[in-house]
Amino acid sequence: MNKTVLIIGVVIVAVIVFVLFGGLGKDPQHIDSPLIGKPAPPFALKAVGTGQTIDLESLRGKPVIVNFWATWCVPCYEEHPTLVANARNLPNVQFVGVVFNDTEDKILRFLAERGAAYPTLIDANGKTAIAYGVGGVPETYFINPAGKIVAKFEGPLSTELLEENLAKAMK
Amino acid sequence: MTPILGRFIILASVLVATTGAFIAYAAGAKRSPEGLRWSQRFAYAFAALMIAATGVMEYALITHDFSVQYVAHVGSTQVPLWVTIVSLWSSLEGSILFWGFILGIYIAVTTWINRNDHQEYMPYAIGTWLSCGAFFSFLIAGPANPFLTVANPPLDGPGPNPLLQNHLLMIIHPPMLYLGYVGMTIPFGFAIAALLRGRLGQSFLRPLRASLLLPWVFLTIAIMLGGWWAYEVLGWGGYWAWDPVENASLLPWLTATAALHSAIVMERRGVLKGWTVTLIQASFLLTILGTFMTRSGVFNSVHSFTQSSIGPTILIFLAAVLLFSVALLSFRIDSLEAEGQLDSAVSREGMFLVNNLFFVVLTFTVLIGTCFPLVVEAVKGKQMSVGRPYFDAMVVPIGTALLFLLGVGPALPWGRASRKEMQRALLPPFITGAVVLVIGYVLGVRNPWTLITLLFGGYAAHVTLAQMWLPLRQRMKRGDSFGPALIDTQLRRGRRRFGGYVVHAGAVIVFVAIAVSSTMRTQQEVTLTRGQSTTFAGYTVTFTGTEERAEPNRQSTIAHFNISKDGKPVTTMEPRMNQYATMREPIGTPAVHSTITRDYYISIMNLQGDQAGVLIINMPMVGWIWFAVLMMGVGGLIALIPMRRRTYVVVPERAPEIDSEVVA
Amino acid sequence: MIATLFLLAFMQIKVPDAAQFVGAPQGTPLTGPQLERRTMEISSELRCPVCQGLAIGDSPSIMAANMKAQVRELLERGYTEAQILSYFEKSYGQFVLLKPKFQGVNALVWILPILALAGGFLLVVTKAKKLETAPVKSAAPNEPVDEPTDDLYLARVREMVDKQ
Repeated sequence: MNKTVLIIGVVIVAVIVFVLFGGLGKDPQHIDSPLIGKPAPPFALKAVGTGQTIDLESLRGKPVIVNFWATWCVPCYEEHPTLVANARNLPNVQFVGVVFNDTEDKILRFLAERGAAYPTLIDANGKTAIAYGVGGVPETYFINPAGKIVAKFEGPLSTELLEENLAKAMK
Repeated sequence: MTPILGRFIILASVLVATTGAFIAYAAGAKRSPEGLRWSQRFAYAFAALMIAATGVMEYALITHDFSVQYVAHVGSTQVPLWVTIVSLWSSLEGSILFWGFILGIYIAVTTWINRNDHQEYMPYAIGTWLSCGAFFSFLIAGPANPFLTVANPPLDGPGPNPLLQNHLLMIIHPPMLYLGYVGMTIPFGFAIAALLRGRLGQSFLRPLRASLLLPWVFLTIAIMLGGWWAYEVLGWGGYWAWDPVENASLLPWLTATAALHSAIVMERRGVLKGWTVTLIQASFLLTILGTFMTRSGVFNSVHSFTQSSIGPTILIFLAAVLLFSVALLSFRIDSLEAEGQLDSAVSREGMFLVNNLFFVVLTFTVLIGTCFPLVVEAVKGKQMSVGRPYFDAMVVPIGTALLFLLGVGPALPWGRASRKEMQRALLPPFITGAVVLVIGYVLGVRNPWTLITLLFGGYAAHVTLAQMWLPLRQRMKRGDSFGPALIDTQLRRGRRRFGGYVVHAGAVIVFVAIAVSSTMRTQQEVTLTRGQSTTFAGYTVTFTGTEERAEPNRQSTIAHFNISKDGKPVTTMEPRMNQYATMREPIGTPAVHSTITRDYYISIMNLQGDQAGVLIINMPMVGWIWFAVLMMGVGGLIALIPMRRRTYVVVPERAPEIDSEVVA
Repeated sequence: MIATLFLLAFMQIKVPDAAQFVGAPQGTPLTGPQLERRTMEISSELRCPVCQGLAIGDSPSIMAANMKAQVRELLERGYTEAQILSYFEKSYGQFVLLKPKFQGVNALVWILPILALAGGFLLVVTKAKKLETAPVKSAAPNEPVDEPTDDLYLARVREMVDKQ
């Protein structure tokens, strides 16, 4: 028996199996946000419909939920009613939608059909999305009253998930 | 009815493969000729069942039997017939069935070819193949069952992923890849048999080498076709992105190439047996790892299948085979080892060792680069990426070193060489290398790596061509006439050697073409209004308008461009955007105008009314890559095809065994 | 009047800017072909977050186009490569860097292949030394009986070829 071969072989097997098993079940599309606990990148963007400019810094003092979405994204359709309902139920929380890579008329049509309860802002060249580290839509950032990002959520939110993440922003 | 039949066949194949494997191993242990005959029958039965199961699935696909889950998942009455047929390998479950199909054919054909030979190894080999067969039929029967029924069959299905319908290479690339991947099971079985016997005789090298060379040829072609496909459809003018799935196809190719080289030393000197067997095992294990990478959803890749539950099952199989291989190797490697010796390290044998070192380090680098993000995530819980810039930085130096060896290795004599012999062998090719280097410089090459590649490439080309025609020159010197000497030295007696050098010649061209096409590439993004022109890289491109075309499965917008040079029209190019009903965003198809020296590539970035935003790329020599890789494949086939010496003589029964042994 | 209102609304728009994250530009502003070349180079080092492992330079997606436009703009303003990469890293983490940094555990991905090469080289040298001095076993004892006798003609040809 060749012990060297055995030992080297077993080490290689152990490493490979450990690493691959560790990787099972992870979503390779998920991106950890380095912005958690950091001040939210400031922006002031124009809202569709009203043309009014909303400045994030003016919203300090209450939790803010920033939801990145687009009309061409299927899960955003599923998520929209949840967001609208919660925005109506939670007057102390400011909801903000940010849309990128989309046209204003499509957004207006979408909102007219499916209801709107909070301002939807246009991020024309995606710069805001990039600064937040958006890796796909829908994606939601939870900002506490002090203006720090406390949580990031990828994919469509349910009410439970929304409340769970919002709790972090309430503290 | 169809799904039940399919499930029945698959269950039978699990049973047949398992039983057959037991019988074969028992026959090996007992050295029973009767047992060997039975295991051969089981091998044929397994193949028959796999072919039948695949036939049933194809029947279900073609008849649009949406009660079969897989058909409901990938079938559609709206797609052309060829898409329906190739849907077999367009999605996970079908692709595993296709794997089993190819495996069955490989097992049966190899068993048949060796039905009367190598009797002491064959039972163990058949046992190993059928064990793999058992695993894959288990996958088909359980975790990846394509024959499940749908309670309420839909009237029509979505069709396969539009990205796969977008090009005819879908017909040929996946089968080639599977022929390469699955084929690695055969040399693995032989290697396991040699280890179990504790012996690797000289006559067993022939089937071992041939069984490795055939999948190598397929894999070589498949990798090239994959790159070409990406180049033709993805729209950024690249053919290799170091994506995990691309790496997965490269890894076994690297170890198999190393094994093919070490097998030559093994054959000549009787050394490196354990090492060659290790490389063959690694090649097979890397194909399983590749399957895991493609199908587990752990790796982020353009090419991966949708997330599935078969990841853990494949991983358990991988772990089991890894452990089995390591244990067997450590118990038996010493009994295979060295019978011979090397005369000198500075010889062709020595260069083979260095060659193997570089191939293995290259494999290690690609493997670690691909898996490192998983390691970091597992150890530190932090995310990171390893991408093209890393691989380019690491692989280019190693590749350049391999090109250097490709030139120097064959120039060095076997055994031991005097200083004078060495000088005579090594110096003249430098002149060719220098000439190529100067030509490149004059033509505008400035990148240092590309210049080195040209120098080494010229050197290697000189050596390769000289070696290729050496036997012929010798025969001519002895007074043989050209024609018969040519056929005899290159295609009959010297066929293996000649084939090897054809592969080398192809490889030299590939190295140079990759270096030149990637460093000399220029590109421009421009927005053109209808009727407007731009001049780039010697051509004037005029946007003449768009056209809508409706096809059953897609709606295309085709942009027309007139290409002219110095006022004279050259061609028209028609890149398109295809909108599939099932896809939200359109998929572009770039247009490529290929000439011998370069490709001119136009890809649509966006189309709005009268405006077309396009990416124009000028890539010199890129077409050479496809042809040179094809040449490598042909070289491999030349070295592979068994040709008996007495083909033209009337032989009453079988030609004596010895002839084929010697020639092959 | 409408134009002024529009302008007013437009001027109020403010997007997060690199200056807030990586300070003032430390390089020289680029233009023309050099700008294009550097944009391409840096774009090949940034991972497109919505794609699957592709660089933003290689991706047709709109997100990648946005990021590429931002790289170009930052180069135009005189930001250095290090600043631009660090700007994107601030929002996406090291995930976005396709060329791992040489720091911490990540340095291993650069070091290990070089170690492997060095170790392998030593192994090859010792192996070659061993094989050079190994005694030739007279007749291989465990060779099978089915060993073919070598064709003499072939042996001669090989001999001649090798001597050349």
